[in-house]
Amino acid sequence: MRPDYLVLKNLVKVFGTGEKTVHAVNNVNLEVKKGELVTLLGPSGCGKTTALRMIAGFEIPTSGEILIDGEDMGATPPNRRPTTMVFQNYALFPHLTVFENIAYGLKIRRSTAQEIRRKTREIMGLVGLEGFEERSPAQLSGGQQQRVSLARSLVMEPKVLLLDEPLSNLDAKLRVSTRLQIRRIHQRVGITSVYVTHDQDEAMTLSDRVVIMHKGRIVQTGTPQEIYAYPASRFVADFIGKANFLESRVVGMASGNALELEIMGNKFTAAVQKSTFSEGERVLLVLRPESVKLEPKRPDTLTGTVREAVYLGSQMVYEVDVAKKIITVEVANPHACMVFRVGEEVTITFQEKTLHILPYEEAS
Amino acid sequence: MKRTILILLLAVVFVLSGFTPGQAAKKVLHIYEAFDTEEAQYYIEAFEKETGIDVVYVRMSSGEVLARVEAESANPQASVWHAGSNTSHINAASKGLLAPYKPKTDFELSGNLRAEDWAWTGFYSGAIGFVSNTNFLKKKGVKAPTSWDDLLSPAFAKNVALAYPYTSGTAYTTYATLVQMHGLEKALDWWEKFDKQSIHQYTKSGTGCIPMVGLEEVAVGISFSHDILAKGVNKGYPVVMTFPQDGTGYEIGGLSLIKGGPEPELGKQFIDWCFTVKAQNLFQKYNRLPVNPKATVEKGSVTLDQVKLIDYNHIWAGQNKDKLVQAWRDRIGK
Amino acid sequence: MAKQGSNRQEILANLRLIWKEPLLLVSILAIFYFLLVFVVYPIFLVFKTSLIVEKQFNFSNYLAIFSKRYFYQPFLNSMILGACTAFTGTFLGFTFAYAITRTPIPFKRFFRLAATFPIISPPFIVSLAAILLFGRSGSLTPFVQKIIGEYSIYGLGGLVLVETIAYGPIAFLVLHGVLQAIDPALEEAAMDLGASRIRVFFTVTLPLAIPGIASAWLLVFIESMADFGNPMVISGDFRVLSVQAFLQITGMYDLSRGSTLAILLLAPTLTAFFIQKYWVSRKSYVTVTGKPTGATIRGVEWYIKLPAYASCFLFTGIIFLFYGMVIYGSFQTLWGVDSTLTLRNYVMMFKVGKDYIVDSLILSTLATPATGILGMFIAFLVIRKKFIGRRIMEFVSLLTFAVPGTVVGIGYILAFNQRSLMFPFILTGTAWIIVILLIFRNMPVGIQSGIAALQQIDPAIEEASSDLGADSNKTFIKITLPMIAPAFFSGLAFSFVKAMTAISAIIFVVSGRWNLITVAVLGFVDNSQYAQAAAMSLILILIVLLALGIIQMMVNRIGKGARSITVVD
Repeated sequence: MRPDYLVLKNLVKVFGTGEKTVHAVNNVNLEVKKGELVTLLGPSGCGKTTALRMIAGFEIPTSGEILIDGEDMGATPPNRRPTTMVFQNYALFPHLTVFENIAYGLKIRRSTAQEIRRKTREIMGLVGLEGFEERSPAQLSGGQQQRVSLARSLVMEPKVLLLDEPLSNLDAKLRVSTRLQIRRIHQRVGITSVYVTHDQDEAMTLSDRVVIMHKGRIVQTGTPQEIYAYPASRFVADFIGKANFLESRVVGMASGNALELEIMGNKFTAAVQKSTFSEGERVLLVLRPESVKLEPKRPDTLTGTVREAVYLGSQMVYEVDVAKKIITVEVANPHACMVFRVGEEVTITFQEKTLHILPYEEAS
Repeated sequence: MKRTILILLLAVVFVLSGFTPGQAAKKVLHIYEAFDTEEAQYYIEAFEKETGIDVVYVRMSSGEVLARVEAESANPQASVWHAGSNTSHINAASKGLLAPYKPKTDFELSGNLRAEDWAWTGFYSGAIGFVSNTNFLKKKGVKAPTSWDDLLSPAFAKNVALAYPYTSGTAYTTYATLVQMHGLEKALDWWEKFDKQSIHQYTKSGTGCIPMVGLEEVAVGISFSHDILAKGVNKGYPVVMTFPQDGTGYEIGGLSLIKGGPEPELGKQFIDWCFTVKAQNLFQKYNRLPVNPKATVEKGSVTLDQVKLIDYNHIWAGQNKDKLVQAWRDRIGK
Repeated sequence: MAKQGSNRQEILANLRLIWKEPLLLVSILAIFYFLLVFVVYPIFLVFKTSLIVEKQFNFSNYLAIFSKRYFYQPFLNSMILGACTAFTGTFLGFTFAYAITRTPIPFKRFFRLAATFPIISPPFIVSLAAILLFGRSGSLTPFVQKIIGEYSIYGLGGLVLVETIAYGPIAFLVLHGVLQAIDPALEEAAMDLGASRIRVFFTVTLPLAIPGIASAWLLVFIESMADFGNPMVISGDFRVLSVQAFLQITGMYDLSRGSTLAILLLAPTLTAFFIQKYWVSRKSYVTVTGKPTGATIRGVEWYIKLPAYASCFLFTGIIFLFYGMVIYGSFQTLWGVDSTLTLRNYVMMFKVGKDYIVDSLILSTLATPATGILGMFIAFLVIRKKFIGRRIMEFVSLLTFAVPGTVVGIGYILAFNQRSLMFPFILTGTAWIIVILLIFRNMPVGIQSGIAALQQIDPAIEEASSDLGADSNKTFIKITLPMIAPAFFSGLAFSFVKAMTAISAIIFVVSGRWNLITVAVLGFVDNSQYAQAAAMSLILILIVLLALGIIQMMVNRIGKGARSITVVD
């Protein structure tokens, strides 16, 4: 069992005084194992960046502890912490060359000139910036600047690498290629990393574990698969991927942890991981658009009317009116199956194991 | 590189603090100087050449010197007070700020030219006169003023300038003269009228009004005769000098040794030098009247016997300066 | 309970951070000490001295304010002068700025240059020129007298004229920035909806500019109240506080009354400063970020063009006339008497005046870098570091901006005439007192340009340096300073100019050994030696221009690569 390398204990950060206080980070507890890449994911204002900056030392916690490799970081200023950060706007030193930027921290550490040259060259090779030593940051493209920023932080061999939305300033295609590159580098180098983003695709691609944050609190921690398939709350379900929510009621308990549910007069059985639900309880069904199938209308089934049908090339996206509720349905490879038109009445089916059940919550 | 900067910095610090190695050997005398810079330079250079003593002086009006000496009494920064009307020196003596010294002279210094206890000595004199712009007089068809009341004439309305009695020895002597002639209340009555009707402005220094008259910025000024000659007539300005027939005051230029000054011996040497014939002859250039009878008086200078002088009591004027000035300020409000 | 605990933990943690950087801690403590001794203490002493009459502590001076004419008359005069100059100066500055930003007037750069000329020259040169032109024996006096009859340039009228010219450019700079920053889209939208140009002006432009106008008014008011050089020359019998305080102190050595006059001078200027900084500037709808938005300029109607163009041409013409007169006057043999042209005055300058020139240069050159670095460092601390008393440090270091030079000068002779608990050295008579006075008087210039420059830098860059292991001082030297180099140098330039042209505080602390050009010029004017005053003034202006040129060259060489890159992809 790998040890806990980075530990956040009861971390709180309050801004403002008197009546206008904001709990930016509200009692956050997290353990990160050595070598793990953990992503803090959430909408803007959820506290993820504040938490990251507290680990780096740029914000002082209102209360709580931060431990790195067993050491309490409370009294340590940012320049003495074993962390380095990749900033959102890269924060490259405009008056230094690429080489000087990357070597900056090593010089402060008083490494020998030879060491500096060796390490810097090595890291530049790793991120793919060979030959760029003498350029100035103003002469680089966004993607290249980003890589310099990454190299500058990596070359320090920190105990914890922090990344603050490093890809948000890149265009879409570059984002995709760069995040794969980051994943590859992380797998090679193996530094414990905390990554902050609001982009769930990034989180899913890069992370060993994802930490969903909302209004200063952690709402769920898990692997990308766990989060996607088994969201712990309506918020998480809604935030990760797209989700349809159907109201339902438990009408009976079946064998082997299965529940009998009723949706608009139609009965379904669904398997659950652990049954914490009781008979008669109102529940929320989470249904991913890609798990819903449409068929021509049949009697005694869950039915609806097609309100929108949008052709996207690789898929058809339907919006189906089911008892005044709109369900989004994605059908892949539309050429290979039936296409429905607006106004048609359809039957809605899904595989039971793709159903996820949550205690009932109103939409917020 | 860093070290050289540090050394340079230290060197600068030394120089600024006035420490000049090797200067210690040369003798330096510190003086507070009430003559104008140009004139002071003339006399002091002569002294330096003759004696080889270096003089460092600070130029201020006599009121300012008095103030400075009083403020520094715990730790005087100068040894000699050179020039300025003796009223200020008298005032200083009454406050115990001067060190009595009888200079070595080759003549007898009469009693009215010195303090009784030799706290100060007088080394030149001059009478108060009027200076008027000749172009103005011609234009307006008036004659230059020859009495104090002439100054109140509508011909000179808002056209007279002199210094504040509290910043300049010249103006204070003027004021004290009037007080001695008419008594304090009557003098202030007269001055109130004078201030309202005739004054254009007050200047800071006693001689400031002379070039103003020369340039016709004002029509009439009040100053000492030697200044009027040196700074007005001899400079080529179109001016003429007159005196009040009803009586005028005069000044005696003061010279004293400051009590507790840094170079008392050098100071005494300087004071002695000021009374020598050579030094007194230098006054010719500036039309001042020497006190040494063996010295030559410049042609054109007005000697004291040519003017109607009142029996001006310098001691009284000096000792009562604060009281008189306060009364003036309260009445005139300036 | 939790809230209180949270603040204390944060405060303690912040303190601990500073403690861990001993160099930083020492720097902060040193700066607090300097500010205390060289800014607060002298002002406090002035106040204290005004309460001591005949060696006893009492309020009699303040009670006398209303009864003694020699107190309230100068006070009223100064206030009236200040208000009048503020109105005329602001009006002039506004029309000038409007002309430059909203009309297609030609030669814009030239006009802007002319407008800033009075700022880099000693202010009382304008008075000198006024006397040369309009004095009793002025060159233009006969013509003017034909038009308006007898008049005197001395007094309130002359002072308002002279101070408007001297300080109008300050209003111009403020208003130019404000008008530039108003989004042209707003005015275009109004026109799009049918408003005429005049209507746009009165319903959109003017209301948005009002906080700026108020700022400009207050700034000119403060400058006029604090003005010493001009009233010394041209006030005649119109007595003002700055001059009267000076005469009291140096003429009568009445410290008590002189200090009272100084406090009377301080009260309105401090009040105006507070109003401007903490109320008016907060109400601005327009953020001046230094990025000109380029207001659209159209062909404008004649009733707008006329006053705007007139203002520009008139003002620039006056500037040329005045400064040209000074040049002309400097070559005269004896002003008012003998107008044969001669170089004699300049020859005398280099013989007699050489010491003044050298002294001024030495002292200003010593003070200027210290001003720049200290100002920059304080800006850095105030903007980037968190510690107890940060706001106090910012406030005190800007205080000298609002305090008239007269008050500071008096404070310095009171404070450093003897040894005291606060400061164990006597400074009067040395060069140090002059240098220190110049440094702390001009520090706000360095601080303001430092703050402006720092606000342009992405704080993430300094955080990155810290993140990579550099402590605060190293970050400041290796990262911050190079990036703000251009702003630093222009701050230096301005400080040098202010140091060379200082008069109102300096005149109290000059001594036999160290003397300044500005004091010498005033001495010449005192003696009506106008030609010599003009020659000396001209030499001063030339030196200032030369220095500015040198600094501009240095900025151009160092400026490469020091701009922050903006991330645009």
